[in-house]
Formats: sequence, C-alpha cells, structure tokens
Amino acid sequence: MPTFTYMTRCDGCGQCVDICPSDIMHIDPIYRRSYNIEPNFCWECYSCVKACPQHAIDVRGYADFAPLGHSVRVLREEAKGTISWKIRYRDGRVKEFTFPIRTTPWGSIKPPSDYETPDAQALGSPMLAHEPAALKVATLPALPPFEQKQE
Amino acid sequence: MFTTNPFTQLTAFVPPAVMQGYIVLMVLAVVAGTAFDLLNEKKIQFFLQDRARAKAAAKRPLGAADRAAIATRTIAHDIATFGEFCNQQRRISHALMFYGFVTYLVTTVAMVFVYPTDTHPPVGLPVLWNIGALMTLVGGYWFFFFLRVNVVQDGHPPWRLVRADLFIGSLLASVTFAVLFEWVAMAGNPVATRAFAGLYVLFTTLLFASVPWSKFAHMFYKPVVAFQRRVEEADGSSDLPTPTTTGRERCPPSHI
Amino acid sequence: MGLFASRKTRFVDTDILVIGGGFGGCGAAYESRYWGRDLKIVVAEKANIERSGAVAHGLSAINCYMGMQWGENQPEDFVRYARGDLMGLVREDLIFDIARHVDSTVHNFEEWGLPIMRNPETGRYLREGKWQIMIHGESYKPIIAEAARKSAEVFNRIMVTHLLMDGARPNRVAGAVGFSVRDGTFYVFRAKAVINAAGGASHVFRPRSVGEGMGRTWYAPWSSASAYALLIEAGAKMIQMENRIVLARFKDGYGPVGAWFLLLKTFVTNAYGERFEASWMNEIKSMVGKYADVTPLPTCLRNHALLQEVKAGKGPILMHTQEALDTKEKEEIGWEDFLDMTIGQAVVWASQNIDPKETPSELITSEPYVMGSHATCSGAWASGPEDCAPADYQWGYNRMTTVEGLFGAGDTIGGSAHKFSSGSFTEGRIAGKAAVKYVRDHAGAPPRVDEQQVERLRHAIFQPLDNFEIGSNEIVAGSVAPGYISPLHGLQRLEKIMDEYVGGVSMFYVTSEPLLNRGLELLHMLKEDMDHVGADSLHQLQRAWELHHRVVTAEAVTRHTLFRQETRWPGYYYRADHPKLDDAEWHAFTASQYDAKTGEWHMTKLPVHHIIE
Repeated sequence: MPTFTYMTRCDGCGQCVDICPSDIMHIDPIYRRSYNIEPNFCWECYSCVKACPQHAIDVRGYADFAPLGHSVRVLREEAKGTISWKIRYRDGRVKEFTFPIRTTPWGSIKPPSDYETPDAQALGSPMLAHEPAALKVATLPALPPFEQKQE
Repeated sequence: MFTTNPFTQLTAFVPPAVMQGYIVLMVLAVVAGTAFDLLNEKKIQFFLQDRARAKAAAKRPLGAADRAAIATRTIAHDIATFGEFCNQQRRISHALMFYGFVTYLVTTVAMVFVYPTDTHPPVGLPVLWNIGALMTLVGGYWFFFFLRVNVVQDGHPPWRLVRADLFIGSLLASVTFAVLFEWVAMAGNPVATRAFAGLYVLFTTLLFASVPWSKFAHMFYKPVVAFQRRVEEADGSSDLPTPTTTGRERCPPSHI
Repeated sequence: MGLFASRKTRFVDTDILVIGGGFGGCGAAYESRYWGRDLKIVVAEKANIERSGAVAHGLSAINCYMGMQWGENQPEDFVRYARGDLMGLVREDLIFDIARHVDSTVHNFEEWGLPIMRNPETGRYLREGKWQIMIHGESYKPIIAEAARKSAEVFNRIMVTHLLMDGARPNRVAGAVGFSVRDGTFYVFRAKAVINAAGGASHVFRPRSVGEGMGRTWYAPWSSASAYALLIEAGAKMIQMENRIVLARFKDGYGPVGAWFLLLKTFVTNAYGERFEASWMNEIKSMVGKYADVTPLPTCLRNHALLQEVKAGKGPILMHTQEALDTKEKEEIGWEDFLDMTIGQAVVWASQNIDPKETPSELITSEPYVMGSHATCSGAWASGPEDCAPADYQWGYNRMTTVEGLFGAGDTIGGSAHKFSSGSFTEGRIAGKAAVKYVRDHAGAPPRVDEQQVERLRHAIFQPLDNFEIGSNEIVAGSVAPGYISPLHGLQRLEKIMDEYVGGVSMFYVTSEPLLNRGLELLHMLKEDMDHVGADSLHQLQRAWELHHRVVTAEAVTRHTLFRQETRWPGYYYRADHPKLDDAEWHAFTASQYDAKTGEWHMTKLPVHHIIE
C-alpha cells in the first residue's frame, strides 16, 4: 500500500527522505514538500510514516487489490517506547492497538569496545563475544571431528 | 546613515502618488493571486469538503469557547513562534524571515504613505526598515543555502532552482536590491541608484505578482490548517491514534 | 552532469569493509569491533541503516532460537530440522555453527532492549513454535542499528556496485566501489577484508501484482541480489542457486502465517471447508520418497499440496482465523503479528472489510525469491567452522568464500538455511571475528587495488546517466526511446523471462530443459542490452545497478536450474522433464563459478556431508 503525503501537513523537513529504505520519498519541485516518486517500489514498511514529525504521511492500499476508504495510521512514541495503531475499515469499524517497542533507553547499548579486550589467543577459538556466559549454558556446543566415509 | 528614509531617493524620478499606487496594486495582486490559487484548481472546494468530512466524523463536537481557545493556542504556538517546526534551525530561520519581512513591509507602507518626501521621518521607521530587511536576508540566505530540504536531503546543489524557489528567490532578490538601492542612493551614485531601483521594483513585482504560482499564499494557508489540525485532534475526528499519555512527544527524535 | 559540474571521487581506506547494514552486516560490525579494537571498520549501506534491509517494518518473531538454557533444543536437532526442510541438502556444519551461537545473540538483543514475550506460566520466552519465539519487534532494526553505529563508521546512501580485486595476486579481494545515491560521488573502498552482507533477491521473477502492487513483494523490494552478483562477478563459487523459495502466505499482502499456524493454531481448508494436505501425501511420496516422511512436513511439500488443490479448482484456499481468535489477547497477537512486520496485510483487511475474528482470509503461494536466510539456502560456497567442518568444507577462515579475503553473512552464504534474523546476525558475528583474524594474519601483505580497474569501473558505473542524457535527445519526450531502456523496462523484461521460462507463477513453477535454454537465449540478449540502460537521476542509477545485480543472479539461477536434473523441491519448482527426486545422482550441491574474462560458467557438483546423524 503505497505512501502519500498530505499537502496541508507536510512542512518539508526531509525526515522521510532520510529514512526511506527504498529511496522513494523525495522532495517535489513545486511545493518543496515530500512525495512518493515510485509507489511500485514502496513496501509500505511505514518507516517514513513513523518518522514524520507532522504525521503528514499516510498509506493508501495498493490500487491492485485494496478498495478505497480504509486507513491504517500509526503513532510511534520513541522516547516512551510504544507504538499505537488506529485502523479504520472501509465499512467504518475502528480498531486500536498499542504495543511496546523497546525496554531500554535509546542510546543505551554498551559499545563492544567498552568491554574488556579479549586476549589474543581467544581470537583462534570458536567462541564469539560474551560467550560462553551469554549463551547461558556452561560451554559452547561442539561436534566430534567428522570422519569422511568412503563415498 | 540608516536613519534616513530610503524612498525619498526614489521620489527624484517617481512621484509619491505612483509609489503609493504601486503598493496598493501589489496588495491587490496578493489578494487576487490568492483567490485565483484557491479557485482555479478547486483548492477551496477541497478544503471545504475536507472540513465537512471532519465535522461529520467529530466525536466530541466543540463549542465556540473551545474553538476560541484552540485558535489562541494556534496563534501563540504554531504561528507566532513557528512551533510546528521540529527542526530548530528551520524554525529560527523562518521566524527571522517572517518577522523581518513583516517589519520591513509595515515600515515601507508607513514611510511611502505618510512620509514620502520626508528624508528624516521618526528615526524608528528607517531603523526598523533596515533591521527588518536584514533579518529577512539573514534568515532567507541561511535557509536558501543551508536549510532547503532539497539541498540538504535530496542532494541538489544550492544554485539549482525549481518552481518552489520562486517565493524565496523573489523575496531575497527584492529585499537584497532594496538594501543595495538604499546603499548606492546614500552614496550618491545616480546611475547605480536607477539601476538598483529598477531591479528592486522588478523583483518586488515578481514577488507579489507570482502569488498564483509560488508558495507565497501558503503563508496564509498554514495557520488555517494548523488550526484545523488542532480542531480534529480535539473533536476526535482525527484518524490518528490517541497518544498513550498527555503531553505527548510533539517532535520525535531526529535520526538525521 | 551539467557543463560545469565535475564528479568527485572519495577514497576510504579501511581494515574491514562490511557491505550492507542489515542484520548480517550489523552483526559483522559488532563482532569485528569486539575483536579488533584498533581496526578501522566501515559499513557501506545503500539506504539508511536505521531501517534498511528486510527488517524495515520490524518482526513479530525470532525464528531461530534454541533455548539451550532451558534444555528446550540442542543445535544438532536444529540441523536435522533444517536438513529435513531442505530435502537433505544443507551445509550441516554451517547450520550447527549458527545454532550453537544464536542463543547468545538473542540474549544480547534482549539486553539491548528488544522486548521478548514471556510465557506467564514458565517465565521462559514465549514459544511460537519449536524454534521460534514471539517478540514485540517493531523497533527490532533500530535497536540493532544502534549497536552497529556504536561499532563501526557507517556510510549511508552508498550503493556498492562492484568488488575490487587485488592487482597483484589473483583471486583476492581488495575492496569495493560504488556511488553516493545523494550527490553522485564515486566511492572507492580499499579494504584488507570484505564482508558481503547485502540482500538476496526479490524481483527476479515476475510478482503476482504488477501495478503499484509490485511493491508488495514478500521479500523487500530493495533486496536486489547484491549478495550474489558482487560475488559472482568476482569469480566466487556459488551453490544451490536453483533453490529458489516460494512461500504460502496471506494473499496479496503476503502477511506472515507462522504465528497463526504455530501459536494461534489456525487451520487451512479449501473453498469448501475441506482440509486437503493429507489427501496429497500419496502423490508427494511418489515424487520424493522418504523425504515425505519428515516431520514437520517440509515447506516445499506443503506448498505442493496447496498448489495441487488450487489447480484442481478447489480454491480460494482459506486460513480460518475466525476459529482461533476467541480471546482479546489472541486478537491482539493476531494483529500485532502483522503490524510488527507486514503492515500491508492489515491494510488489506481494513480495505476489504475482513475482520479476522469473523472472516477467513485467503492464502496463496508467492512468486519465487532467491535468498539464503529462510527456508532456502542459495549463496556462496563458504569455509566452515574450523573445529567441526569436514576437511573439504573449510580452508582457513570461517565464512570466507572461495575468493581470498572475501567473507559473507546472511543471504550471501549458501547451504546455511533457516537463519532468519537472529541467525543472520549470528553469521555476521562469525564472519566478523574471522575477518579480524584474517586481517591480523595478513598484516604484512595488504592487498593492492588495481588503478586501471578502478578507472574502468568509474566510467562504467555512471554510464547509464550518459546513456539517458545523450540518447534522450533523439526523441521529443516520453519513456520510449530506440537507444536505451529504463531500469524498470529492464526489470520487467527480466521478470517476464524468468516467469515464463524458469518456473514462475504463470507456469505454476514448472520449467524444463527446452524452456531453460530459451530463457538463457533471452537473458543473453537482455545482458547485452544492459549496456544501454538509461538513468535520468541518481535514484534511477541505483535502480540500474540493482537491475544489473538481479540479471547476473538470474543467469546463475537459470544455469543451476538447468544443471540439477531432478525435482528436489516440488512446491518451489518442478523440472517437468525430470519430475522425481533423484538421490542417486543429485544428493549433492550444484556449484557454479563465473569467469568474468571469458564470460563462461563452470558447473560442478559438491558433496553433501551429513556430519549429524
């Protein structure tokens, strides 16, 4: 269901241009606002819809198979760690949902270089960072060496 | 230096009545241009239709007092301080351009209509005229070279002009030539004065006559739609999800 | 370019270059930083790492998690499961290697902030199925991207178009070239090791929806086969490129079915309310023998049953969601399943007035895709883990391809099926650590970039812009010009060739030797026309190179499909001229190597070792 931008809401900030994984949200030359230049490469991942500070981007289901009159709108509250959806059916039914999106503050991931430097010998072992502790079992599983049968 | 009426230099070759008539013409051009823009492509019909749809979908119809409160909040937050902008640099540059241009316009009208031949009007007028022009130029050139989204996000070089640049371009040209005209006039160079005066009038005319094709009229539409957006949030006709708590994040964190 | 503009070139020297900032690339960035504190590590990402790749929407489940801490599964069991699902042909060493590490990846994810659902009775992760756990995964990619940004320098909006080879030593990688999608700068990455973690292939076969709806492919439309083409053109050995995947999903929106089947326990019938899978088992047994006895029934065979039912005129096939959603909690899980990862299916429901509590939904088999991280394993032949891979499956550095210094992770690696998100990140970690070891071991002899090759590529990369600018002078206006085709024109021609000759949906996935040979003829002409693709913008230039990668990959798919003279995966595709599974001849990997100088493809078989009982 490709995206479109509401003329009255867009103020041309460019967040959608920056985020689109398909590189299809661009700035139109007449109003300097965003629009979807290639709806047939829109996956409707809603990245631009979620990123727009003005809620200026919405989705109209692909014309190939989606009748008109529906809306699926989203409010991503990043700092709060929630995402809320409001779905309006073509026949007027409405459904609303809210789900969590993250349990820790944004920016809080410990960089890998902040961990104690592994010793040079460990580079040759099969263990990856934070193992075996991060596996929550005592040792990394292994297999006996493979004896190739005559084939 | 900047305490004298720049327009008295013009009266050397243009009668005050003509200058005043020109300003009236420019005001009419804006009104006609905006009306044309609204009617020609049925913009006004769309807006009225959309407003009717929202009204029908309202769950909590608003009274006059509610609407007045919303209007006040719109003016105070969205319009006066450009609070809709989440990018602070864009917000500041727009505030500079808006207040600068309005100051410059008001003082222009005052000097041309009340003191057209008076080289020394109340000193606040020419001083404010220059400050207003300067704010417009600072905000405007900053926006033009460093903040235009097609330059910042879409990779255009700043000198690539598109139709969306008609407003900002003619505004900057008009005010730039206004200031240049003022300078050469004060320096007493008659040829340059006429030249820059001519360019000043040319780009000022372009600015106001191009309203049907530029973003000029969006200055009037934006406050109206800002008000409408707040009304739809308040009366439940918005199809956006309700925020999880009050005092919602107005501007999500930018990842640019 | 305009008369007064000039193209800038930017050189980036780095120890490790990671191509692609998806789950594989982010894992590679994180792990290589952990082991290489002093190294320069760069990620080149075509879009914006915050939401790039197949997990742009998010995901509602992690499909590869052992749960060793609770004794839920062991890696050997996972190998047996993946082997069964792929009809016996997988790299058991690679899958074991991922399965034994993936739990630590998932535990890291939870520590970083990914909300994983818990079973209220046991306190363990809530299982969707034996290998899958449920997550609130809308921000899955942004969380992982944060870890990658804290590990490496990320270059967003840089499309890598070609690998660079060492000018002095043959068969050794020296970096990569590409361009900025925003300002057209030519990028030259000079690297001591390269990890290709780019996307697999959507839009190689014609999709079912061909208007706006062609955007709603099951796999991301920006998965443009760079995982394969970059390697193929560098001469890396590739395996199983014929093993394309077809998925049975909710119709049109391609919403996921896993949670519905496994967690909510919905069932599927034909249009007349009859369950049908069992009725096709005899036929399936006659085609694939003992492989039909595998539990769970392999993905391709389940597809086959659905297809046969459709061909018998018993469609539409229906998933009876209304029988499963008897509580509000289940309804929320059903909706979150879509909203976390395929919002388009929610849009289909809203637009067609389908309330899953009241109405069943149609299922359909998708168009084919070529990738390596799902119930399929096309990709590069790679060296396996030193401690447990057979001798002929390893040559020194885990996940290194047959090109020295060139590693892969995610869709890129062949034989390594059922990775999904957590497994791809894990494979990235494995490749990242191995690349650090490689860089350290070869510190005295860094690769040397061939200047002439760089210059040739610089010219070739931007050629489509010239093709358009010059060629469009011939016509007044419009999209039809005798001298060039747009990237979309090329893509639609490719998709039609693959659909009609190599087993797409219009053929019910059937092909044969005569069809495949005709397909190769048409692909050959398309390849020649690739010199005449015209791009009118940098965005279209990106599309032009995505097309190029898809065309290269499509040829590999066609040649491998021709080479394997059996029908190994009915339900994925059928060789009408070899309709049965033939273990005697074909219990092996198909392998190819492309010689860019001669344009020749060399096809061989590689042995499938079963290192686990």
